Amino acid sequence: MREFELLQPKTLPDALDALAQNDAARRPLGGGTDLLVDLRAKRVQPDVLIALQKVNELRGVARVNGHVRVGASTPIAEFLKHPLLTPYRALHQAASVFANPMIRNAGTIGGNIGSASPAGDTLPPLLALDAQIELVSASGTRTLALDDFFLGPRKTARNANELIYAIQLPAKENSSATRSCFYKLGLRQADAISLVSVAVWLAREGEKIRDVRIALGAVAPRPLRAKRAEEILRGQIFSETNLKEAARIAAAECSPIDDLRASAKYRRRMVNVYTRRMLEQAWQNL
Amino acid sequence: MNPKLVTLSVNHRTHHVALNPNTTLLSALRDLGYTDVKSGCEKGDCGACTVLVNGIAVNACLQLAWLAEGQDILTVAGLGSSDQPHPLQTAFADFGAAQCGFCTPGMIMSAKALLDERPQPTEAEMRKALSGNLCRCTGYARIFEAIEHAAKQLNVDSRG
Repeated sequence: MREFELLQPKTLPDALDALAQNDAARRPLGGGTDLLVDLRAKRVQPDVLIALQKVNELRGVARVNGHVRVGASTPIAEFLKHPLLTPYRALHQAASVFANPMIRNAGTIGGNIGSASPAGDTLPPLLALDAQIELVSASGTRTLALDDFFLGPRKTARNANELIYAIQLPAKENSSATRSCFYKLGLRQADAISLVSVAVWLAREGEKIRDVRIALGAVAPRPLRAKRAEEILRGQIFSETNLKEAARIAAAECSPIDDLRASAKYRRRMVNVYTRRMLEQAWQNL
Repeated sequence: MNPKLVTLSVNHRTHHVALNPNTTLLSALRDLGYTDVKSGCEKGDCGACTVLVNGIAVNACLQLAWLAEGQDILTVAGLGSSDQPHPLQTAFADFGAAQCGFCTPGMIMSAKALLDERPQPTEAEMRKALSGNLCRCTGYARIFEAIEHAAKQLNVDSRG
C-alpha cells in the first residue's frame, strides 16, 4: 500500500485543523471499508489520512428539533439496532442487505455518503426520506438537502476542509400515515453490489397519494430522485394506471450503463418493475 | 512515513511492535505469528481474515493496525487450545465443516460473534451472520450444522 501519514485527532476541532492544512492531499478516514480498498488498488493516493474514529463529536444518534440526528461515524449495523433508527424502514432494509456483517460493523453512514458511489446502498433510502446533511469546517457548519450533495460518481459538494458531521432524518416523515421501503437487486443475496436499487417514501390521505418520493441507485452517475415520476403520482388517486405510468417515467428518467454485472437495458427494465413494486408495497402497508 | 511503537492486545496477550501507518491489522497479526488469521481477497469480500475487535466481527484487512491500539483483538487461536478447544472448534472438526480449511478461522469467528449475541440462532440468522464468509470448497451445510451443534453445547454448558 502507498505510504501515508496517519493522524488520529481526538476532538472535532483537532480533526478540522488537521484537515484545513492544505500542504498535501488529505483524506478523512471513517470505517475504512471503501478507502482501504481504494488505497490498495491505488485509486486514491493521499499523503495524509485523518482517522475520525476517536472523534466523539461525530458519534451518537439523538432526537433534535423534529428530526433524528445521526452522527457521521455511526456504523451501518447501528441502523438495525438503534430504537430511533429502526422505524425508518427503507434505511433499515438497506442496512440489512448492505454488503456483509463485517462491513456493516465497520463501515459508517458518513463514509457511505462521502464515498458517493452511485450504488451506495443507504443513499436511495436517505433521499427518499428527505435527509439533510450537516457539514462542518473550522469556520462553522452548513446544512444542505442530501439531494444537493451528490454531484457525480464519487463527487460531492463537500469542500476539502469540511467533514460530514451528521445526517438529519425528518421525524414527521415517519408518521403512521407514511411508509418507506427499499429493494436492492444484486447478483446474490449478500455481499453484492447493487445492479439497481429503489427506495420509495409515500404519504397517504384517504385514497390519494398526498406526497411521494422515489429514489434510484446504481442507474445514474449519482443516486437519483425520480422527480418526474413523483409528479405523476403526487395528489393523485392510487390507481393501476398512475402506478404504471410513474414506473415507466422513472425508468425513462435514469441513465444506466452496461457493465459486467448487467446491461443498461436490463437495469432500466428493473427500475420499472421495482419502482412499481415498491410503490405497491408502501401503499399496502399503510 | 515513520513507524510507531504500537501496543496490541491479541488473545489476551500484549505485544509492543513498531508498525508503519499503512500496515493493516491483518498483516500486523500475521507478522506477529497469528497466521490463523488468513489473508484472502484483501478487500472485505471473503471474510477469511475475520477477527473480533472488542467483541465485534470485522475484516482485519480493512483495519489499520495503528487504530487497533488499545482494543481487544480475538483471533481463532485465542478461542481455545488443542487441549481445550472451544465448542465451535470441536463441532467444526466433528461435523467435517472444513475441507481445505482456509475459510474456517473466519467462519468460526463470525459464528462466535453470532452466538455471543444470539445463543440460539435460527437458520436464517446463521446464514445472515456468515454471509460475509465465503467457502469455495464444498458448501455451507456442514458449517451450519456445526454451529447449531456448538450452540446447543454452549447452552448446556452455560446452564451448568
